[in-house]
Amino acid sequence: MNKKKSYILTGGRVVDPFRGIDAVMDIGVMDGVIVEPESVVNPETIDVSGLIVAPGFIDMHVHLRQPGNHAAETIATGTMAAAAGGFSGIVPMPNTSPAADTPGAIEYIKRHTEREGKVKVYPCGCMTKNLEGKEMAGIGSLKAAGVVAVSDDGKCIQNHELMRHVAEYTASFGLPILDHCEDDCLKGEGVMHEGVWSVLLGMQGISSASEELMIARDIIMSRMSGCRIHIQHLSCQEGVSMIRHAREKGILISAEVTPHHISLTDECIKKFDTNYKMNPPLRSEYDRQALIQGLADGTITVIATDHAPHTATAKLVEFDYAPFGIVGLETAIPVCLSELYHTGVLSISSFVSKFTVGPAEILGFKNKSLAAGNPADITIIDLNREFTVDASKFYSKSRNTPYNGMTFKGKAVATVVDGKFVFSEL
Amino acid sequence: MPAKTQICDSGKVKNAISRIADAIISEFNSSKSKKFAFIGLHKQGVPLARRLIAEIEQKTGFCPELALLDISMYRDDVGIRSALPIIRETEIPFDISGQAVILVDDVLSTGRTIRAALDAITDYGRPPLIRLAVMVDRGNREFPILADYAGMKIIPGEGRKIVVEFEESDGHDGIFEVDWETSTKGD
Amino acid sequence: MEVTWTKKDLLSLYDLEREEIELILDTAEEFKKVSQRNVKKVPALRGKTVVNFFVEPSTRTRISFELAEQRLSADIINISANASSLQKGETLLDTVKNIEALQADLIVMRHSAPGAQNFIAQNVECGVLNAGDGAHSHPTQALLDLFTIREKKGRIKGLKTVIVGDILHSRVARSDIWGLLKLGAEVTVAGPATLVPKDFEKIGVRVCHNLKEALEGADVVNLLRIQHERQRSGFFPSTNEYARFFGLNRETVKYLKPDALVMHPGPINRDVELDSSIADGPQSVILEQVTNGLAVRMAVLFLVAGCLQK
Repeated sequence: MNKKKSYILTGGRVVDPFRGIDAVMDIGVMDGVIVEPESVVNPETIDVSGLIVAPGFIDMHVHLRQPGNHAAETIATGTMAAAAGGFSGIVPMPNTSPAADTPGAIEYIKRHTEREGKVKVYPCGCMTKNLEGKEMAGIGSLKAAGVVAVSDDGKCIQNHELMRHVAEYTASFGLPILDHCEDDCLKGEGVMHEGVWSVLLGMQGISSASEELMIARDIIMSRMSGCRIHIQHLSCQEGVSMIRHAREKGILISAEVTPHHISLTDECIKKFDTNYKMNPPLRSEYDRQALIQGLADGTITVIATDHAPHTATAKLVEFDYAPFGIVGLETAIPVCLSELYHTGVLSISSFVSKFTVGPAEILGFKNKSLAAGNPADITIIDLNREFTVDASKFYSKSRNTPYNGMTFKGKAVATVVDGKFVFSEL
Repeated sequence: MPAKTQICDSGKVKNAISRIADAIISEFNSSKSKKFAFIGLHKQGVPLARRLIAEIEQKTGFCPELALLDISMYRDDVGIRSALPIIRETEIPFDISGQAVILVDDVLSTGRTIRAALDAITDYGRPPLIRLAVMVDRGNREFPILADYAGMKIIPGEGRKIVVEFEESDGHDGIFEVDWETSTKGD
Repeated sequence: MEVTWTKKDLLSLYDLEREEIELILDTAEEFKKVSQRNVKKVPALRGKTVVNFFVEPSTRTRISFELAEQRLSADIINISANASSLQKGETLLDTVKNIEALQADLIVMRHSAPGAQNFIAQNVECGVLNAGDGAHSHPTQALLDLFTIREKKGRIKGLKTVIVGDILHSRVARSDIWGLLKLGAEVTVAGPATLVPKDFEKIGVRVCHNLKEALEGADVVNLLRIQHERQRSGFFPSTNEYARFFGLNRETVKYLKPDALVMHPGPINRDVELDSSIADGPQSVILEQVTNGLAVRMAVLFLVAGCLQK
């Protein structure tokens, strides 16, 4: 990787939704910080004409699997996959083994990120001890140790009274909650969306009602406690409606959507390929269109991958027994550009904001724009580069993607973290 | 060289059928039990068997019974052929164990079809006598099987095969030589 | 141009064209005759190795397949889940690859997870015959049902057919539905609302929760076995209530046409889904279904075996 200390990115189309900028201009970088191009000492020039220069993309929903499942992914390989996907920062979920529910666990993440991480890792702590949904974790101590949010992702607190306490307590420390909304009883043994296709295929379904019920619960808790609650991997039509309505009333609720939920549907399951199995499941075409509409009208402000690596061994089993989840860091931008930008649903500025302004707002990040003085975290995108997904070439350790062999238009061609090029195909 | 050339016209076919019938009548007239039945092998052995029955009835007044046999389940080349043979109807309306039977097929080639037919017949019973009648013996035998009655002997050219057509099934009587590729599958 | 069989697997009737289903039924007709003569065997699968891999246990279907394989002169190995290495934690794929390494030509497989056979078929060279996968598919059962109907009624197109029972959890129902629709029959599914999802209407099936309405003018009724586990999971209150509202008894049988066929995949819960008198009565073709099952399985084994050495 380039070890350039001072350089000017010339001729790029700078799209910075933090400052409402969309113009061709030069960006100067010196000692890891953005500076006015004129002030760069002994600069090298890097020609990025024809490319989009954006603030560094943040994926606020990633599973790094370390500690506990190093076969599937590690902090080193996961952050490299993030860099290759165009992300300069990620938020790893705390459902590791052991779970990230103590300051010591957060220290571990920070130490390994320091040594092996390719991009910035913003730790996330658990809401409850060991994600059991029974006792609150030491949220204050976790904040002190450096978490940017708390989550029980993978699980959902079923006891509403406990959730109320967690919301009130978390709010007092100024942290957001990232919630995986799921009612355990309604989910049951389901493996795919409950709908026409689960009926035709004879598979157990996960009803949208399972997600809708907990979204409603979270909206109420946010309203009561004033806690910012962010709904993870939104997948259903009714969920979009409820969140839109709650936001209109000024409740501090937000939502993210994954690239796979806006590009695939439950009909894919008829192939019985476990690379289409995740939770929440791929839902119907109506749900997919509702999610895209939600992105277009600003109800959904974040796109996050829920990058969930699994070894080939784990996934090469009967559909019912396969673990939920697919990788997503290295396919997110190509899939989303093809599905949202090239179709005209989102402008380039709106597209970029889903990966920058959206996450920053929820996580309370400042200084993420490309203004002079800010850390030089930059994502450079070629909107027209054809990209055929080849899972065997992923930087991630895992290969569980439904997109293998498919061609998309547009990808990240360079990722810069603190001025350093951590990935480049320029 | 054209794909399909005619070797014998309908006149020669009718004559051949007459000759076969005469040979059969002559053999069975001098045997102890004068009765026999025909087993036509799908698919072109069936119309030929019907023709022989009509010819024999016209000449002697005796109308032999007709059985239809499909030997797809007895082939030795399941999985090797390019297309799966369609199983046609097997219908044996008499007791095989008590009857001399004459197998009828249009062309005798390697002998494998007849071998399969012999296996099939013996699974249905134990006939006292089995004879084989064919329209054409084309002579590239792979098994030691001979026709007792053959209408004619024709050796086709390299890469060519013999096709027999009948009015009832194909609209005209005739014997043709065709390229292996253009011939219909399922011989 | 005559239709021919080109698939190394039989996984679901959803994958077949109408002509392919008819080819299987026509082929089965000839194999039925084999079972009626003195020598009930043909050498069609001689030298081929067939493995019956029943991860989900079965008696009736397995015996039917075994007998079919024997009548085709195949060599047979039987593996059941508890006697297999799956108990030791070996993955399904590894177990099947080991079977394949022993030069098995065909695997007849039953599994409780839907799509398990699809998954295996994509990952092995040998042929895979689905003997039932969870609630998804049971193609040979549907084929023998179609064969029985066609034999008795002379056709399938235009017939009014009804399937009664726990459709939601039934692989027989799903396979029957695909087969009947592809061959042009009208299909109605009937049973308690908790067990008969409305979504079937989206593929052209009539959904009914009233038995009289469902059976009126029907040519064929297929009764599914009601399982007691469903009662315990809260899908319906009691077998008594089920029998009262959805059982075929002397009262409800009157709604059918007099020459209608009464079918059941077996085993029967006598006097629950079906009165004994009707099960043993003149409209019942239940035992013939079993006989036809043998012929249909011979046909399917023959066709799939013919596609192996391409």
